[in-house]
Amino acid sequence: MVSCCSVEKVPEEKKESLKVIALAGNPNVGKTTIFNALTGLRQHVGNWPGVTVEKKEGIMKYREKEFLVVDLPGTYSLTANSIDELIARNFILSGNADVVVDIVDASCLMRNLFLTMEIFEMGVKKVVIALNKIDIARKRGVRFDVKKMEKILGVPVIPTNAKEGAGVEELKRVIANMAEGKITTNPVIPVYEEPIEREIEHISSLLRGTPLEEMYNIRWLAIKLLTRDQEVIKLVLNYLGPGKMDEILKHISELEVHYKRSLDIVIANQKYEFIDKLMHQFVIHFGEVKETFSDQIDRVLTHPAYGILGLLGVFYVLFKFVFTIGTPMQEFLDNTFASFGEFVAGFIGNEAVRGLIVEGVIGGVGSVLSFFPLVFLLFIAMSVLEDSGYMARAAVVMERIMRKFGLPGKSFIPMVLAFGCNVPAIMATRTLEDERDRILTMLINPLVPCSARMVVITFLAGAFFSDHKALMAVSIYAISLFLALLSALILGKFVIKGEESPFVIELPEYSLPSWKVAVVHSWERSKEFLRKAGTIILLGSVAIWYLSNYPEPIGSGLSYAEKLGKVFEPFTMLMGLDWKAAVSLIFGIIAKENVIATYGIIYGIGESEEALISLMQSAMTGLQAFVLALVTTLYIPCIATIGAIRAEGGNKWALVASAYNLMLASAVGVLVYNIGLLLGF
Amino acid sequence: MLMYVRLTQMREGERGIVVDIHGGHRARQRLLGMGIAPGTKIVVVKSGRPGPYIIAIGNTRIALGQGVAEKIIVRREL
Ligand SMILES: Nc1nc2c(ncn2[C@@H]2O[C@H](COP(=O)(O)OP(=O)(O)O)[C@@H](O)[C@H]2O)c(=O)[nH]1
Ligand SMILES: [Mg+2]
Repeated sequence: MVSCCSVEKVPEEKKESLKVIALAGNPNVGKTTIFNALTGLRQHVGNWPGVTVEKKEGIMKYREKEFLVVDLPGTYSLTANSIDELIARNFILSGNADVVVDIVDASCLMRNLFLTMEIFEMGVKKVVIALNKIDIARKRGVRFDVKKMEKILGVPVIPTNAKEGAGVEELKRVIANMAEGKITTNPVIPVYEEPIEREIEHISSLLRGTPLEEMYNIRWLAIKLLTRDQEVIKLVLNYLGPGKMDEILKHISELEVHYKRSLDIVIANQKYEFIDKLMHQFVIHFGEVKETFSDQIDRVLTHPAYGILGLLGVFYVLFKFVFTIGTPMQEFLDNTFASFGEFVAGFIGNEAVRGLIVEGVIGGVGSVLSFFPLVFLLFIAMSVLEDSGYMARAAVVMERIMRKFGLPGKSFIPMVLAFGCNVPAIMATRTLEDERDRILTMLINPLVPCSARMVVITFLAGAFFSDHKALMAVSIYAISLFLALLSALILGKFVIKGEESPFVIELPEYSLPSWKVAVVHSWERSKEFLRKAGTIILLGSVAIWYLSNYPEPIGSGLSYAEKLGKVFEPFTMLMGLDWKAAVSLIFGIIAKENVIATYGIIYGIGESEEALISLMQSAMTGLQAFVLALVTTLYIPCIATIGAIRAEGGNKWALVASAYNLMLASAVGVLVYNIGLLLGF
Repeated sequence: MLMYVRLTQMREGERGIVVDIHGGHRARQRLLGMGIAPGTKIVVVKSGRPGPYIIAIGNTRIALGQGVAEKIIVRREL
């Protein structure tokens, strides 16, 4: 009855090319560590098609043979309730994997074998179990009879300590042999209580003989139907039609009445009981759950008061690190590109071509690349936070505060990263499992002032509020953060409805992060940023070059940019801002620091800061400068950010974010300006 | 002493086995997805309003909010 869907469905051309090894396992079992050990950091980070879950692939070499290793998302089970689980499940179902390596945590075996049983139930035969973190299990006094474990589970079991590399060679050997068909297996299949088994058989009999039998394991489909798995119900409905489906659903309801609960609970329960029985046959000594040092730290770091202090400390250090290293690098790249532009300009006679290349292309590439150090460093910081285990604690501490605004604690991380740069921040929203939470966090993210806007805010604060610089800057930050949280509340209520996700989060044990891994991983992520955001920034900067040079150069009053500014002037005047501000704001969409630079260009004074300050002071009141800083902070996110939202959430949300921010900025700008006038500023 | 209690009623250091999960589809699926199902053996590491509650399952630790923790029914092990 159990037919293995995995071999039949491998596409022909795949058979010729590399054998595929899929890594499955719970989060935190050491999947990434094993992946790195197998592939030796020869890897590539991309996305699973259509979704934003990270996909990692690498090449494993064993005895001159190469294998393609695919890291599946870490999941506890294979239901259809999260993107991660669906990806892992569909990949295993697709049969594209020649071998599935199921990585289990030896120190928490019972929970890990749950996933193993789900994989076995799918009818996958070529499975190798990596019994990882064997060192921790031993330390806790757990003892296994590995030979017996192999016999009882019916697949090879390789004890590993991925951190030290122990057992990895053996794992490679077994994987390679299995991929080449040299190992036969006989995975154990969970058995349920009589009423459940009877119903599984009944449903199976209805499914037999349909095309489904060729594609899936019938028993697996039946079990998933019992748990009312939405995806499987849809699938089976297609083949059986509503009549038989209704009959099945009626049986399920009867069974639910019999057990007085939904069957997902009943089946999970019986699966655990089955696992418990298996384990008693091969676990010699179970060991004790002892309070660890990690637990003691956690009592402090998740404490409502001390936890917050810890959090402030950690993020202070993080930003110190990112800006101390990143800012000089950014300036260096900026200068390098500026000199390179000047150098190239000397060789091009034609004025239009020179402008296009120097200002449009080189300037554009320069501004993309000057983002790079900051983005890269923020990714490193994030990677270190993740790998050390602190990220989960930060989410716990912030949970109660964020929840007041309808957000989960985890969405705090992207908000903090946004102070550095919104692009990696928006990419970090991936860590939120829940679709609603993810979109909401993404939409409010641009309202958190990034470092580019900090430049504008501090410039205007210095130029117009020399006595109250800090006060002015702090009030802009406070207003925008307040609006971000308020927006979360409002958008969460009216635009992206949906139930809030329940708060459950795993706290991985603290550990020292590996710099090598952090650097390699961040490098891959940053390259992805360059690919995605790079093109759009480049196009934007060519457009700006064109608008400010045709038909006459900017400063003449005749350029398209200035004309555009005058078109918007009646509107921006509502908040006290003239056409110069309008032009600057338009150019700020490319990169927010352009807002100030554009004033320099319009006044035709280039880079001289003092001259610019005195010219602006004579043209603007303090109130207008305040409004300009505020509007710069709030209106349409910069192009790179829009690009990131588009990449992570699709066109629709990129549009919603831009429109929402624009509306918000206008409303707040008009309001603040007029209130300011009334108060006599 | 009651044998069957909500997770929120367990004290730090107490052991138990999850016997049921109340609440809607969503919370249930989330907990089952995290490996908290009837039959799971737990030890309470941190307890007390307003949360978070931390439980140990084997060597792993899971933090739960007040709302979810109230939905988990545990049989105390003495
Ligand atoms: N002691 C020990 N720690 C390990 C082992 N394998 C992984 N780790 C650590 O467990 C943590 C989680 O590992 P990671 O590979 O990121 O897990 P993933 O979430 O499954 O990708 C990291 O801190 C690793 O250093 C192991 O065999 N023994
Ligand atoms: Mg990982």
